[in-house]
Amino acid sequence: MNVRVLFKYWRTILIVAEMTIRQQLMDGFIIFTVLFQPIIIALLALWMLKGKGPDYAIFVVVGSGLTGLWSSLLFISGNSINAERWSGTLEPLVAIPTPFEVIIFGKNLANVIQSLLSMVLGYIVAAFFFGYDLTIVQPWYFAVSLALSVFAFISFGLIIAPVFVMNPGVRAWQNAMEFPVYLLCGFLFPIALLPGWTTPISYLLPPYWAAVSLHGATTVGTAPNEIFFAWGMMVLFSLIDLLVASRLFKLMLYKARADATLGME
Amino acid sequence: MRVLSSNLRLFWQGTLLSYRALFHWLRPAQYVASKVFMPLAQMFFFVFLGTFATSASNAGFYIIGNAIQITAVSGIFGVTMSVGGERETGTLPYLFGTPANRLVTFFGRAFMHILDGMLGVVIAFAWGVILLGLDLSHTDLPALALTIAVTTVSTCGLGLLMGCLSLITVNVMFVNSFVYFLLLIFSGANVPIAELPNWMQAISYALPLTRGIAAARLLVGGAPLADVAPLLWTELGVGLIYGLIGYVLFSWFEFIAKRRGILEVF
Repeated sequence: MNVRVLFKYWRTILIVAEMTIRQQLMDGFIIFTVLFQPIIIALLALWMLKGKGPDYAIFVVVGSGLTGLWSSLLFISGNSINAERWSGTLEPLVAIPTPFEVIIFGKNLANVIQSLLSMVLGYIVAAFFFGYDLTIVQPWYFAVSLALSVFAFISFGLIIAPVFVMNPGVRAWQNAMEFPVYLLCGFLFPIALLPGWTTPISYLLPPYWAAVSLHGATTVGTAPNEIFFAWGMMVLFSLIDLLVASRLFKLMLYKARADATLGME
Repeated sequence: MRVLSSNLRLFWQGTLLSYRALFHWLRPAQYVASKVFMPLAQMFFFVFLGTFATSASNAGFYIIGNAIQITAVSGIFGVTMSVGGERETGTLPYLFGTPANRLVTFFGRAFMHILDGMLGVVIAFAWGVILLGLDLSHTDLPALALTIAVTTVSTCGLGLLMGCLSLITVNVMFVNSFVYFLLLIFSGANVPIAELPNWMQAISYALPLTRGIAAARLLVGGAPLADVAPLLWTELGVGLIYGLIGYVLFSWFEFIAKRRGILEVF
């Protein structure tokens, strides 16, 4: 999928996103993943990092929000194609003239946008229940970082979904992929605490660059160059992800049609 | 004697089949991912977060707390799904239609998860020693094993109650995920109970795991079994109370469902 396709089908993307959000508001598991789990993690982290001083509260708000974004991407966006399969709507979606990846892009957009609510709730918890004075040091950098993070997460999700569909063996590891990314991407503590050999893995994960830019924009003393570099990495990874996703979707749909297994697990 | 042997057979078959069905044993990767890697990754996350928050010298506090907390993966998710799964898979009417002993059927759902939960905690402690440098040189290991067993039993008691509640809701995953994550706060695995507000402390002490984690920390610190015995007795008592409440509710739900003809109506 290229960026031109996204512009051409922007209305479809928005409608899919709207319908997805409406549908998911009734799903207890999704509500838990998007709202409750990040809030519980935020509460835990606020208690645990109390000794670090009030400056860490905004770090926790952003970090716990990122955990919500990742969990939502992994469990909800990861199953976005399978969900259509389970509800019997996959065949019509594949048959319509709109490219199938556009539909999945819209679904991922909905998932990522609704996950941002966890950051807002984390902010409310830290500000009102714990009484922290929360300030975003560089609001413009934060806004750009957030927009690029959303795009990077959606693009990454476009790779995860077809991989899970084509490889049920990989999807079996879905449960085990949640916390390693929390660890490797430095959502709530610096990756410098981890063994050195894990650092290159972190660099290959778009959520890591999202964490670098968002934490950078909210923390005092971060050099702008560091944030700009993280933006560049997110753009680069997003483009690579879109390119790879395009190939994966073609391969998946070809395999499904050739093997006549579209609706089967 | 015949009744006893048939109940034992029912217990064993019920426990084994429900456990097998839960984990799709044809795909062991699913088991390893959900029961070994996920809990370990979670443990590492909170240990690193905890040591970042305080200091590396406090790693033991977080390793022990989160290692014991792993029992909740089996105790809450496993047991809840074993009981609640009967409704989801449409086997509840058959179960309620049999003359099988309900006590045996109900508690049988937890048995394999007790063994499994204990294994999970042992693996977590092993990783804690090998990768995170947990020192067990002063620990009374049999007493620690007993603590693990007692805590797992008591957590499964809460799981039985949750499983029972899952029979009257469509959002089973919401219920058990919520309880599982709340235990991370209330059990004292990551935040010392004394630092919590009073109302939260009261909830902590009404839950399983709290005393088990405290006992394990004392044992690893070199305390003898006698010192932690009161904690273990209370932990066991708390778990049994939850299990019994679950059983009473299970029987009551069956009664109501049969009387009103709403066996599979959520």
